[in-house]
Amino acid sequence: MTIVVAYKWAANPQDAQVGADGAVDLSRAKPGVSEYDPVAIETGRRLADATGAELVGLSVGGPQVGTSMARKAALSRGLDRLVVVADEALDGARAATTAAVLAAQVREIGDVDLVLTGDGSVDEGAHLVPAVLAGHLGWPLLVDVTAVERAADGGLRVTRSVGAGTQVLEVDGPAVLSVAADAVVPRVPGMKDILGAGKKPVAEATVGQVAVSEPAVVGRKRPALAQRKGRLLTGADTAAVAAELVAALRADGVL
Amino acid sequence: MSSTWIVVAGDPTVGTLVETGRTIGGELVALVLGPRSTAQRVACAGVDRVVWLGEPGSAPLEAFAGAAADLVAAGRPQVVLAADRAADRVLAGAVAARTGAAALGGVRQVETVDGVVQVVRDALGGIVRERLALTGPTVLVLDGGALPDEGVPAPVEEVAVTPAGVRVVEEHPAAVGGPDLHSAHRVVAVGRGLRERGDVAIAEALAVALDGATACSRPMAEGVDFFPRDRYVGVSGQRVTPDLYLAAGISGQVQHMVGARGARIVVAINTDKDAPIFRECDYGVVGDLYEVLPALTEALGR
Ligand SMILES: Cc1cc2nc3c(=O)[nH]c(=O)nc-3n(C[C@H](O)[C@H](O)[C@H](O)COP(=O)(O)OP(=O)(O)OC[C@H]3O[C@@H](n4cnc5c(N)ncnc54)[C@H](O)[C@@H]3O)c2cc1C
Repeated sequence: MTIVVAYKWAANPQDAQVGADGAVDLSRAKPGVSEYDPVAIETGRRLADATGAELVGLSVGGPQVGTSMARKAALSRGLDRLVVVADEALDGARAATTAAVLAAQVREIGDVDLVLTGDGSVDEGAHLVPAVLAGHLGWPLLVDVTAVERAADGGLRVTRSVGAGTQVLEVDGPAVLSVAADAVVPRVPGMKDILGAGKKPVAEATVGQVAVSEPAVVGRKRPALAQRKGRLLTGADTAAVAAELVAALRADGVL
Repeated sequence: MSSTWIVVAGDPTVGTLVETGRTIGGELVALVLGPRSTAQRVACAGVDRVVWLGEPGSAPLEAFAGAAADLVAAGRPQVVLAADRAADRVLAGAVAARTGAAALGGVRQVETVDGVVQVVRDALGGIVRERLALTGPTVLVLDGGALPDEGVPAPVEEVAVTPAGVRVVEEHPAAVGGPDLHSAHRVVAVGRGLRERGDVAIAEALAVALDGATACSRPMAEGVDFFPRDRYVGVSGQRVTPDLYLAAGISGQVQHMVGARGARIVVAINTDKDAPIFRECDYGVVGDLYEVLPALTEALGR
C-alpha cells in the first residue's frame, strides 16, 4: 500500500512586498515546504512505519518545485520518494487546477489508499485543494485530523477536532485527510537526512490535460487598510501609561 | 439563464450567500446536508427551492459530499456559493471537482459587470486583493454571513443518497461554549508573549473589566491548549469586528491581522518595539503584558 503526502512549495506572504498596484514582490520571501506540510509528512511517516506502507511525496507547481533544494527539503523530512510536476504553466496555479493535477498523479502512482495534506498553505491558505482533490478521487475528505491509525480490518480510525470538541471516525475505504497543524511535532531534518535525501528517487511528471476554466484577472491592488492612529504611549510609569490609554479609549467612545 | 446553487453543510447561517445568489440572478437552489431543521431554515431564507439529502445518521456530513456534487452537477449551475467553514469547504471542493469548475476562496464581493460575473477576493492570505472575471463554472467560498431573515418557505425536495463509508463512532463535544467573539464589543487577545496557561487569567481579568471577551493567536489554541480552537483570530480562525481589539504579546503576522482588521480601534502591547503589529494599531504600548494588562484592569476600575 502507498500513502501519498501532497505538499506545497511556497513562500510566506508576511515577507512579501506589495506595491500600491497590487504587484507582489516575493524576492525577499524564501520559499520552503509550506509551514504546516511537514506535520502531514511526519504523520504519514509514522503511519507508514506502523503498517509497512510506502510514503510518497507529491508536489505540483512552478519550476521552483523541482529544484534540487526543494526536493531535498521535502525528502529530508522522511519521505521514501517523490513525484513532482514542476511546470511554468502551474506557477501560481489556482486551487482547482492544482487539485486536478494532483489527482491525476495520485491515480498514476497507483495502489494509493490514503492521501495526507497539511492544514492549509502558508500563501493562499484557502483550504480548498484537499477538498477538490478528494472530489476528483471520489474519496471522502476529513479535515482538522489530529490522529490516524490503521484499524485491524484495513480501514482507518481517525480523530479530528470539530469546533472546540473532537470526534473519532471509522473510514472504510480510501480517503484524503487534512492533518491539523499540531497533530504531531515534525522532525527537524539533520545533516544525515539532507544528504540521504539526495539519493532518494524523484520522478518528474508532466501536467497533462486540465479542463478547468480558471477566471481571468481584471484588476489587482493592495487592500486599503483602515487608517490607524499609530500613537505610541510611552513612559516608565506603567500606571500612568495605562491611565492615558484608558482615557484615550474613552474619548474614542469604545469603552 | 442558468441557475445559481448554494451548498450548505449543517449550518444555516448563510444570509450573505442568499443575498449574493440573488444579485447573480436566475433560479436560486440550495442543496442542504444535515438535519431536517437546517433544510427547513434554509428553505425560509429566500431561495427558490431546496434539495435535502435526508437525515445524516451516524455519517459525518463530509460522507455526503460526492452524492451532493452529483446532484449539483445535474443542475449545471454557473456559480455555486459555499460558506467559509470546514464542512462547507469539503462540499464546495467536491462540487468543483465533479463539475470541472474553478474554485476560489477568500471571496469578498460578487457582482455582474456587462453580463459577466466578477469576483473580488483576497489572495495570498490577504496581502493582495484581486478582481477576477469568471470564464466558466466556478465555486465561490465566502463568509456565510448571518442567519437569514425568515420568509415564506420554499419547497424542500428530499433525495435519498448513500453516503461514503465513514461513521462517527465517538463524539466529545467541547466542555463549555465560550463567549461569542462575533458579538463582543471588546476583545482582549493574547499571543505567545503569554508564557503559561494559568496566566490567561490576566487577560480574562481585563476582559471582565472591559465587559468583553478573550481571544488569542493561533499558537495559543494549537499545540498548547491555553484556549479552545474556536477562539483564535485570523485567516484560518475567527474574523472579528469589535469596537476595540486589544492584542497583547501578539507579533502581528498577516495571518493573524487579517482576522482583526475589521476592529474599530486596535491596541497593541508588545515588548518588541519593532513588532509588525505596531504598524497597524491605533495605540501602541511597548511594554511587558504582565505589567501593562493588570495596570489597565486597575485603571478601568477607577
Ligand atoms: C496557513 C497558515 C495559517 C495561519 N493562520 C493563522 C490564524 O488564523 N491566526 C493566527 O493567529 N495565526 C495564524 N498563523 C500563524 C501566524 O503566521 C503566526 O505564526 C502567529 O500568528 C504568531 O502568533 P503570535 O503573534 O502569538 O506569536 P509570535 O509571532 O511568536 O509573537 C509573540 C510576540 O509576543 C511578544 N512578547 C513576548 N513576551 C512578551 C511580553 N511579556 N509582553 C508583551 N509582548 C511579549 C514578542 O515580542 C512577539 O512579538 C497561520 C500560519 C499559517 C502558515
